[in-house]
Amino acid sequence: MQARGAAFLRTTAFRQTLLSAALFALASFVTLGFVYAASAGMVLRRADAAINEEVAELDASFQAGGIRTVNRYILERTVGGGADYLYLLVHPSGRSLSGNLTYLPDVQPDDEGRVQFTYRRPAAGESGNEVDDGKDDRTARGRIIDLPSGYRLYVGLDVDEETRLVSRMLNTILAASALALALGVAAGIFVSRRFVRRLDRINTVARRVKAGDLQPRAPRNFTGDELDELSENFNNMLDRVEALMHRMRHTGDSIAHDLRTPLTRMRNRLDEALREDGDRASREQALERAVADTDELLGIFNAILSLSRLEAGESRASIQRLDPADIASDLAELYEPVCEDDGLSFNSEIQSGLTLLGDRGLLSQALANILDNAVKYTPSGGAVTLRLRETGEGMIEFSVTDTGPGIPDTDRERVTQRFVRLDNSRTKPGSGLGLSLVQAIVDVHNGRFELGEGPGVVADGHGAGLRASLCFPKAPSDKA
Amino acid sequence: MRILIVEDDREAASYIRKGLRESGHVADHAGDGEEGLEMARAAEYDVLVVDRMMPRMDGLSMVEALRADDDRTPVLILSALGEVDDRVEGLKAGGDDYLVKPYAFAELLARVEALARRRDPDTVRTKLVVGDLEMDLLARTVVREGEEILLQPREFRLLEFLMKHSGQVVTRTMLLEKVWDYHFDPQTNVIDVHISRLRSKIDKPFPRSLLHTVRGAGYRLQA
Repeated sequence: MQARGAAFLRTTAFRQTLLSAALFALASFVTLGFVYAASAGMVLRRADAAINEEVAELDASFQAGGIRTVNRYILERTVGGGADYLYLLVHPSGRSLSGNLTYLPDVQPDDEGRVQFTYRRPAAGESGNEVDDGKDDRTARGRIIDLPSGYRLYVGLDVDEETRLVSRMLNTILAASALALALGVAAGIFVSRRFVRRLDRINTVARRVKAGDLQPRAPRNFTGDELDELSENFNNMLDRVEALMHRMRHTGDSIAHDLRTPLTRMRNRLDEALREDGDRASREQALERAVADTDELLGIFNAILSLSRLEAGESRASIQRLDPADIASDLAELYEPVCEDDGLSFNSEIQSGLTLLGDRGLLSQALANILDNAVKYTPSGGAVTLRLRETGEGMIEFSVTDTGPGIPDTDRERVTQRFVRLDNSRTKPGSGLGLSLVQAIVDVHNGRFELGEGPGVVADGHGAGLRASLCFPKAPSDKA
Repeated sequence: MRILIVEDDREAASYIRKGLRESGHVADHAGDGEEGLEMARAAEYDVLVVDRMMPRMDGLSMVEALRADDDRTPVLILSALGEVDDRVEGLKAGGDDYLVKPYAFAELLARVEALARRRDPDTVRTKLVVGDLEMDLLARTVVREGEEILLQPREFRLLEFLMKHSGQVVTRTMLLEKVWDYHFDPQTNVIDVHISRLRSKIDKPFPRSLLHTVRGAGYRLQA
């Protein structure tokens, strides 16, 4: 638990919130400090202004009648208590003449002759018996004026209330700042706990996957926030990993199954050739067939290899801007004689002026695979059509239609999987990888591969036919 | 011909060597890139067959080193890496041809012999002649026994390639690569069909055929 707590304090989330809490507290401290400085200053300035006015009043008295008038002025205001101001008139000898203060403050005045000090308020009335409980220590502020002939006059104001208010304000500000900091930290802990807990859940999933269990998925709250997005990406990644693992396992099984047949056949032929007595010609024939079997095996291997590379996204396809019409017409030219040789009529309808981002080699290969199939499965007398056009939805579509047996609706999804071959007798040559390769190539180009019913006439004995369509997005305009 | 095989797999090397010797060539073997570079520098070879991935010095570095010495000996690179980019890389490093493993020996032999032919001073030829078959590369015309034969553009390129390599075996894969620029194997016999079309134009009307099928390997145009 201890270690967990320490680990928590090290988390980025906690540090971030701590930092922002500190910044927030500092900001509120500065703001309140500014308010404090402004209001405290104002209180004192008002007191000073009032004192200045009273000093002017006393100065006028002095001008009018000298020290006596001043003395009388002070006595008039202080006798009986309740004076607004604090006064003290001191004789050059140091004796107090009049006023409601007992002694002059022993404080050095500042540049403007102002002093601030603590005094003891005389108990009500003039009796002067002071209650020494310390509670009557009050703050005063005033000026000491040196009058001619050695008299000294103090005029001040009791600013106890004001200074108390100001200092209470200061305390409140400090307390508020401390509270803001504490609240910030608490909120930080709360928020980062939540954050860390959510991250922890994702980490737990990662650890379980690492341990070999591909089932768990990161929890999502579907708010679309960063963590939710992370979970989503993480889950998508896991889905892909799982699909690849599954496919790999399936491929492994299929390879074993599919290679066993030609390998066994080859082994038997070689065995036969060894046992064959004397007949050189038949031995040679057996060896030649064995070589042909090997070539077939190598072909399967190569197909598996390129397929794996494409599916793993490792293939460094060289995607370029190209005119799909070139690809289509090259292949039309390549396959037309092949079709004619097989008694099929071949047509091509190629739209020019389109632009596609793609790899010529891969696209040609995909199209060649489809044409291969069309030629292979369409009975003689049928027709094969290669078409390139821009579809209504603005895609570039290569399509090959034939009048062969077609592929039943239910099998169309299946045939793009590896090693799936619909003629279980496997009388036609082929690895069962051709359409998987087409699918992989189309995927690399962000395209769509669809199989549908062709234009064949079922009644003529040929079948419904097949329409294989490869759709790709158009290349964005060059000018853009 | 004298051929140097640079290949770290001894068994593969001895298989190639034996095959080349049986075809009447002299073949030496180097076990890695460094040894291969030394041997290629020490002696005159007609063709080098270089494996791409080898210990000590890989095939591409070796070929680059040779080319840096201005050694123009034709090089056939063997590699298990068969993607388009891998080929481009191999050819950029100075290789003249690129063969992906696994391959049939007939394929290797055909390519080695085709490469050796390249060494002939490459004067710009405007006319190819094989027996009584003549091709004018400027006028784009083909004439046999004084009779003009009309060919489609691709048929013309196919025949041009065959004539440039007359007397040699040319494989189906070579034709797909050099005439069509495709680096994959269509399952159907597309090349055979195109050859038979060409044959019907250049051979059928005449008493003697020039375009021969070499079993298990490919084709040969020979007078």
